[in-house]
Amino acid sequence: MGGLSGSLGIALGALAANRGAIAITSNNIANVNNPAYSRQRINLSENPPVQVGPVLFGTGVTLEQATSIRDNLLERRLDQENQSASHLDAFLGALNQVQALFNEAAGSGLQAPLTAFFNSFSQLSVNPTSAASRQAVITAGQNLASAFRYSASSLRALQSSTDIGVEQSVRQINQIAQQVAALNVQISGLESVGQDPGAFLDQRTQLLRQLSGLIEISEADAGNGSLTVTTSGGAALVVAFHAFALTTAINPDTTYHDVYSQDTNLTADLRGGALGGQIEARDREIPSILQKLDTLAYAVATAVNTQSQSGFDANGNAGLDFFVPLASSSAAASSLAVSISDPGLVAASSDGAVGSNGNAQALAALKDQAIVAGESPANYYSALIFSIGNSVSQAQAEKAAVELVQQQLQNQRGAISGVSLDEEAVNLIRFQSAYAAAANVVSVVNELLATTLAMIR
Amino acid sequence: MSLRINPNPAPDLLLAIARNRQEQNAALQQLSTGRKVVQLADNPAAAAQVVLSHIDSAQDDQYLQNISALTAQLGSIDSILSSVVQALTQAISLGVQGANGTLSDADRQSIAQHMTGIRDQVLALANQTYQGSHVFGGTATSAAPFVLDATQPGGVRYDGNANTNTVAISQGRTIAVNLPGSELFTNPAGNVLAALNEMITALQSNSGLQAANTSLNTAFSQLNTRRVFYGNTLSQLESTQTFLHTDKVRLAQQENALVGADLAASITSLQQATTATEAILSATGQVLSTLNLLNFLK
Repeated sequence: MGGLSGSLGIALGALAANRGAIAITSNNIANVNNPAYSRQRINLSENPPVQVGPVLFGTGVTLEQATSIRDNLLERRLDQENQSASHLDAFLGALNQVQALFNEAAGSGLQAPLTAFFNSFSQLSVNPTSAASRQAVITAGQNLASAFRYSASSLRALQSSTDIGVEQSVRQINQIAQQVAALNVQISGLESVGQDPGAFLDQRTQLLRQLSGLIEISEADAGNGSLTVTTSGGAALVVAFHAFALTTAINPDTTYHDVYSQDTNLTADLRGGALGGQIEARDREIPSILQKLDTLAYAVATAVNTQSQSGFDANGNAGLDFFVPLASSSAAASSLAVSISDPGLVAASSDGAVGSNGNAQALAALKDQAIVAGESPANYYSALIFSIGNSVSQAQAEKAAVELVQQQLQNQRGAISGVSLDEEAVNLIRFQSAYAAAANVVSVVNELLATTLAMIR
Repeated sequence: MSLRINPNPAPDLLLAIARNRQEQNAALQQLSTGRKVVQLADNPAAAAQVVLSHIDSAQDDQYLQNISALTAQLGSIDSILSSVVQALTQAISLGVQGANGTLSDADRQSIAQHMTGIRDQVLALANQTYQGSHVFGGTATSAAPFVLDATQPGGVRYDGNANTNTVAISQGRTIAVNLPGSELFTNPAGNVLAALNEMITALQSNSGLQAANTSLNTAFSQLNTRRVFYGNTLSQLESTQTFLHTDKVRLAQQENALVGADLAASITSLQQATTATEAILSATGQVLSTLNLLNFLK
């Protein structure tokens, strides 16, 4: 070394290194708008020197494997926030529809039929012999019953459509888990031969982001670059090169799909991600609203029936049940129905005489009595409206907070891994000049070699 | 090395634009609906409170309907009683005439006939119906409550009952809306129909006219005393009606305070959101089209 041919070799190495560096820069620029891409840093290393006599000569430069710049902790944080955001999105998607069902501000909901029903008894109390007022009571009762049934069936329809979402989420989770397992194979293959699996890591990071949007996951390094992915409860999704599929099966009690890993029912433990949000809406929030509706329907029907029985109809006979009697509050809202159709059977009289309004008066007064879980029907219903509004508003507030955190994390990720065109332009200029310089070295050495060769002519 | 900043501001900018659009939408919705609580989640407590205030308001409407129906009904009953009073006034003056010792038998018989006519008129009034129901039968309203029956003391039988109806006319307030006919027409403290029968018999037999006159006067004042009930009830209905109208205004004001949009505030926030959106849009345009170093490479 140290000779002209040595210099030629160094220049050749420099040409190759700078060409490679320009290729990496070009790849960075090409991926500037790819959100999953982590920028690659160019690593140049000095070749080992050689000693010629007392002098130590350098031997040029080598382009090492480029390094993808990413912060794994940050990526995990992003996954976590992503699962919170997706959870809230799925939950709010269902709850916004519930909220619309009970939008009293827009006139939907049970307030109007409930009030009209009790008012119809008050109307009847003014003129207990009026056939029109008696018919009005039956009509108001039918309206109330159909409003209850409509609300209950709309909530059930919402549960069913959320249930379809659960199945779809599970299918997506299985698909992604398979892709992650396949990438584990690629990545550990490359790592075992000392190559940078950057592109595959980016893909896997992107898939894990999607997966965390669907289900709450834990990631653990399985060595050799491959990753073990489990649900937060510990059920395996991906172990090294193998994906474990989640399955769904209909739960006969709820008639909706439960989620299984192997043979373990995970449904109740799934909290995060879209799947968690769907399950929370389907199995907890909507059933709790339905149950309150059932309680209200059952209490109103039972109280009205009891009061009806203590009165007398227009013919002086003992009063009959006004509503079809309900055995329990279970599914009361969806089965509420008026049982009498003859206006004469409305038990308005308290003394058996046709002109008595005492029982109509007592039936109208039920509206102010604590007949539903220690509250009047109006107060109970108003509390239900509050709890629906409050659930949505809490989830909205959480969503806004999560969005802010996500935004900050994205910014941090961008600061670390994002491609800056200015940086790449500077690199391009640097490597371009270095390449030109190396080419010049070749041409100068070439001239020197020619001069040297000319000496022997 | 200086801190590296995020080279891609696009997501931030888009989020900022989306937030401003949301505020714009919210303000527009408030302006178009006139409400600041459009969805339950906008203010759950106010939405729940409005449910109660709607219920109260609908109840007030029902009470007002009850009052207007009762006013018509009680007004009609009061005018029946006023006809009865007129008839009794006439009977009393006839009775005084009949007690005049200078009258011939024939004259007394003719007065007795006249008196019988008045009795039948009072009986018919006591059996009057309102919208198909006998108003003086207590709660037994399907059959005529008063029947002439010589076997009964006083010559009249009451087929009604002594029960009364009450009707709710405002929150927590119910009033009695009828008096059983037995209190008005066959009250032991002054029995109108018996007194008329007694007078007819006295005129026909020309004996006990003085006593019959006394009975008739007692019955008359008894009826007048009782009749005050309807006048009182009517005036209670009227004052409650005024109260209910005031209460409805109060509820409407309450609802407006809870969920009504403050138009000035909504317009201001619409303008703010619009200005902010314009600013962020123009900033985005500038930032995203800014040249980078690559543009300067030759």
